[in-house]
This record gives sequence, C-alpha cells and structure tokens, in this order.
Amino acid sequence: MLSIIYRTRTFVLTTLICLLSMGMGSAAAHAEEAPASYNYSYWGDSVASPAAYRATAILNGDSLGVGPFKEPNDLHVTADKQIYVLDSGNNRIVVMDASFKLVRIIDTFDGKGGPDQFISPQGLFVTEDKHIYVADTGNKRMVHLDSDGKLVKVIENPESELFQEKFQFQPARVVVDKAQRIYVMAAGVFDGFMEFNANGEFSTFIGANRVRVDPAELLWKRLSTRAQRSRMVMFTPTEFTNLDIDDEGFIYATNGDRFGDTIKKLNAQGNDILRRTGYFNPRGDIAAMSQMVASRLIDIDVADSEIYSVLDSRRGRIFTYNGDGHFMYVFGGLGNRLGEFNAPSAIERVGDQFLVLDKGLGEITLFETTEYGRTLNEAVRSYYRGDEEGAFSLFQKSIHMNANLEFAYAGIGKSLLRQGKYAEAMKYFKQSKDQRNYSKAFLLYRKEVLRDYFPAVMTGIVLLALGTIVLRKFRQWKGGRKRAAIKQ
Amino acid sequence: MPQLNSELLKHPFYLILHPFNGYWDLKYEWNKKTHLIVSFLILFLLAVTNILSSQYSGFLVNIYNPADMNSLMEILYVLLPVLFWCVANWSLTTLMDGEGKFVEIFTSTCFAFTPMVIIPFPWIWLSNVISIQETGFYYFSHSIALIWSLYLLFVGNMTVHQFTPSKTIGTLLLSVVAMGFLAFLCLLFFSLIQQLSSFVSTIYQEIDLRS
Repeated sequence: MLSIIYRTRTFVLTTLICLLSMGMGSAAAHAEEAPASYNYSYWGDSVASPAAYRATAILNGDSLGVGPFKEPNDLHVTADKQIYVLDSGNNRIVVMDASFKLVRIIDTFDGKGGPDQFISPQGLFVTEDKHIYVADTGNKRMVHLDSDGKLVKVIENPESELFQEKFQFQPARVVVDKAQRIYVMAAGVFDGFMEFNANGEFSTFIGANRVRVDPAELLWKRLSTRAQRSRMVMFTPTEFTNLDIDDEGFIYATNGDRFGDTIKKLNAQGNDILRRTGYFNPRGDIAAMSQMVASRLIDIDVADSEIYSVLDSRRGRIFTYNGDGHFMYVFGGLGNRLGEFNAPSAIERVGDQFLVLDKGLGEITLFETTEYGRTLNEAVRSYYRGDEEGAFSLFQKSIHMNANLEFAYAGIGKSLLRQGKYAEAMKYFKQSKDQRNYSKAFLLYRKEVLRDYFPAVMTGIVLLALGTIVLRKFRQWKGGRKRAAIKQ
Repeated sequence: MPQLNSELLKHPFYLILHPFNGYWDLKYEWNKKTHLIVSFLILFLLAVTNILSSQYSGFLVNIYNPADMNSLMEILYVLLPVLFWCVANWSLTTLMDGEGKFVEIFTSTCFAFTPMVIIPFPWIWLSNVISIQETGFYYFSHSIALIWSLYLLFVGNMTVHQFTPSKTIGTLLLSVVAMGFLAFLCLLFFSLIQQLSSFVSTIYQEIDLRS
C-alpha cells in the first residue's frame, strides 16, 4: 500500500518537473533571434515563414579565371541577362553571360589623349543598347562607353550656379533613363540627384531628402550661444545611398536615414510617389517595434511588376516588397555559411534569381527561388497584371504554404469580391485586416441580404398593419352592437 | 420591494437627464446604501460593456489582438481609475472645504458613468452592421457619451461639494494631477516592497544554504 502511494508520488513529481522544464524551455525559445525567413504580422511581430530563396552557388574572380575581385562595388544585369561586375579595387569591369561564363574584361579605353583607366570607380549602369556608364569616382568624372567599349563622352567638372563654392564632382552611383538622361548620386551632395541631359550638361537637382531635425538637438541649439552654435553640426538633409530605375523611368532610391521613409520612388519632378499601403512602411526591419537598430539600406533593385528589393548592410538581409508596399519575403544575413555575407554591397535580380555582391569577400552569391518564392512571385505578378483568376489560385497556393502571409488573404478576397461571393470575401479581408475592402464587400453583402429579405419583411409589416386595423374595426363594430343592445 | 427596484432603475436615468436635481436628490434625499449598490452595478456594467465591446465590436471599428485580450485587465482599467479618482478628489476637497463625504464622491462618480454604459452598449451590435462610411456615427456617439459623462462628473462634483463652477473645474484638474502623484507613490511603494521581499528571501536562501 505504502509503496503504491510512494510510486504514484514519484510519478506525479516527475511529470510536474517535466512540465515545468517544458515551460522554461519554451520561454528560452521565445528569447531567440528572429528566424532566417520571416514576415511581419499586422501586430509587428516577426512570424517565421518558409524560405523564399535559397543560396545555390558562389561565384568569384578565381572561378571565372580573371583573378580575385578586389572590393567590387556595383553590379548590373542587362535585359538579356549579361552580368556586369564593377571590380573597383582592380579598376575594371568584368562581363559575364547568363551562364556565368566570362565574356570580356574592360579595364582600359581610348581616352582623348591615349589609353585611359578608371580609378576606384563606384557605380555602373548599362543601358538597353549596352552602353556603359561608369561613375569614375577617383578621377572625379563620369565615363560613357559604347557597347564595344569605345569612349563616347566624359562628364567632368559640371558647372552651374546651383553648386556651392569649392564643389567637387565625385559621382558614386549612376542610372540612365530611356531618354539618355543621366542621374548621378554624388558624394557630398545634399540637394538630391544630379540630372544631366543626353549631351552630358548638368540640368538640375531632383528629389532632395528633407532636413530632419532632432527635437532635443534643436533645444540645445536654442539654448546655446552663437559661438557654440557655429561649432555644432549643421542640420543637413541626408544623402541618398543608392538608386535604381524601372522600365517606366521612375527612380527608386534608398537613403541612410535612421527614421522616416528610407525608400523613395521619385517621379520626373522629384516627388516621392511610393505606395505605402502595407501594414508597415517599407524600410527593412521594423526597428521601433523590436528594440533593435534600424536597417541601413544601401542598395535597391526594381524588378518587373513593381516588385523591388532593398539590401540592408547592417544585418545583410535582402527585403522584397510589392508595389503596394507589402513585405513579401526576406533572405540573407551576415555570417560565414553559404547564403550569408561579410560586407554586401549590391544586389541585382536576374529574372527570378538574385545576385548579391559581397565587397568584403569579393564574391557573388547566387540565390534561386524555392517553390514558395516562385508561387509568391507569380501571385504578385498576376495580381499586378489584373489576372484575378490566376492571382486567386496562386495566392491560395501560397497561403497553403504559409498561412501567416496576411496580405495574400486580401488578394484572394478581391477576386472573391469580383466573383460576387461577398460573405466569403469578407472573411478573407478580415484575415488580412483590410478594413477598406471589408467594408466594400460588406456593403454589397448587406444589399444582397436586404434584397432577399425585404419583400418578406415588408409583407409581414403590411399584413400586421392591416390585421390591426381590421381587428380594431371588428372590435368597434362588436362594441357598437353591444352598446346598441344595451341602449335597447 | 418591486417599487424600490423600479425606482433604483429610474434614478440613474433621471439623474443623467436632470443632473442638478438628480445630484441634489442623490446627496440629500435618496437612500445612501441602496445607491451604493447601484453605483457598484453601474461600475460592473461599465466593465462588462468594455469587455464585450473589445471582443464583439465590428471589425471596422475594432481590430483586436487576441493575444492581448484580458478581461481581468479590462475590469482593472475601470476599477483602478475610479478608485484613484475618488481618493484623489476626496483628499483634495477635504482640504478645500468641500462638503462631500467619500461615499458621496464615489456614488456621484459612478452615476456619472451611466452614459458610458447606455450609449456604447447597443453600439457593440450596431457596429457589426455598418460600413466604413458609417463609422462616423459610431465615433460621434462615443464622443457624445464621453462628453456627457464628463459634464455629469462636473455637475456631480459641484453639487456634492457645494462648490462654485470655477472652483469645481480647478478641483477636477487638480484631482487629475493628484491621481498622477498617487500612481507614482503606488509604484514606488510596490517596487520598494519588491526590493525588500527579495532582500529577505535572499538572506533566507543564504542562511539555508550555509546551515
């Protein structure tokens, strides 16, 4: 008897201990870092999601047979998938084809007075007809080569009354639009991007960042004397960190701000027209929510269908957003394993593949889509095209793989709305916390329900009214007869 | 008894429509004990309304995170401010020659919350059948309820303490400040107690391990 009690007691105790330790284990798991692939929920929590991209290969100078890359800074991929790598430390451009075979190396070109070379160039752009624009930072000039590597023009010492005294032209990044206008991001320029016309003459600045004033700093400035003030840091707008141009000629730019909008889409007038209708404004990791340092975005790449990706140098992550500003997926990171970087400097999309250039290691990492990433890309594309049917089934497929992908539910809801299934659409909009569209579906649903029940309800009311009138008349008539009887 | 019950129900409605007469009656005419019960009932209904509206209000006016839902906290959010308010107001008005007793302050405060129950309560269900354009009515009626309650609080305080209007406004504002002090003192007290208890338990552990 005693032994039985003793045994049950031990059993109960062990179970208790197990349960307790389980609870502690789960607490420890909560404190862990965010998973490699995640998405932000409506509430700002990072929720684990399936990986959308997987690193499959590493390319470096040795594997190409051109000697190691030294601090490569920029990368560009043309429409026919030729890859141009700007090998800044070696002052050359390495051109590869789609299967990563060497095509040619551009390290010298015929200048005005004999052969000329780059000095630590920072930026590179290749137009559709394969003209190469190089921001030749060390030589303080922009170099424009044609498709054979022959010099077309050089932009040096641009002149304008808009420049400050002692202005030095140090181009760092460059893009060219379809009308051959050149947009240059230059070091030490706070007025936005420098726009040059097709002949290489400076025309204007566009898209300056706003000056952002720290209230505490402003208070100090107010309290200090003029002499003190003159030694303080001036409030200047932040510089851009990178830019890219899409097929329609809009410039996508990133800046190094700690707060505010770090990604911008500039139209020809320099106004920011990026749509920010996602749960959070696109800016990499949401810093305010999770007590961590804000992402520092250093490169941006626009793909088709308004999908764009940004590179965060602080954590080496690549964030991808759709045109509405919904966060699609993230991959990458800092580290030593395949798919992690030392000092990433540029990203470029080749079709659905990603190339990430690592400045520190002189390597290019190739990322390829997983099933999940492919489905999501296709879903966003067909939604962008207006192909609601296709988007419906693809979004369905992607939420089967990741039920926490909240914005996908809105995509499904919209096509259900189009099909006239209002009640179901409401359910999906509720899932994606989309109040505006929920209201739209609800109004239609309410109308439908009212239309169904209105005749019955109205008939009931009319019948009821008629009934009471008849009943009252009947009573009056009866009462009248009674009274008549009494009178008699 | 039934008559008393119907009167108990009638009094809050009479008071919110005729605040000056109502609060006068509350202070001098009506039975204190029964109205204390009514006050608690109003507080209870307010807590219930808050809980229900955070759970069942329509999606267009209320997106709630299921992880943050806590009915006990909702009850605390009603009880604690009322308690703080009454204590702060009582401590101030005793110094400022107010005529109100603590019970009177408490009942007058609770009665002032009646509009916060009767207006938002039907909106819990109504908000499920409105579109986003119609949410304006929802917010409008909620602000009406709030303003009405504040007005009642003002009139109640004025009647209970027999203050002039300007003095009442001054006391009300000072009470809010006093609430802040109270909250600070409470936090200080609890953190000190926590330190003390952890100190004692550490000493106990030390002795326990050494012996």
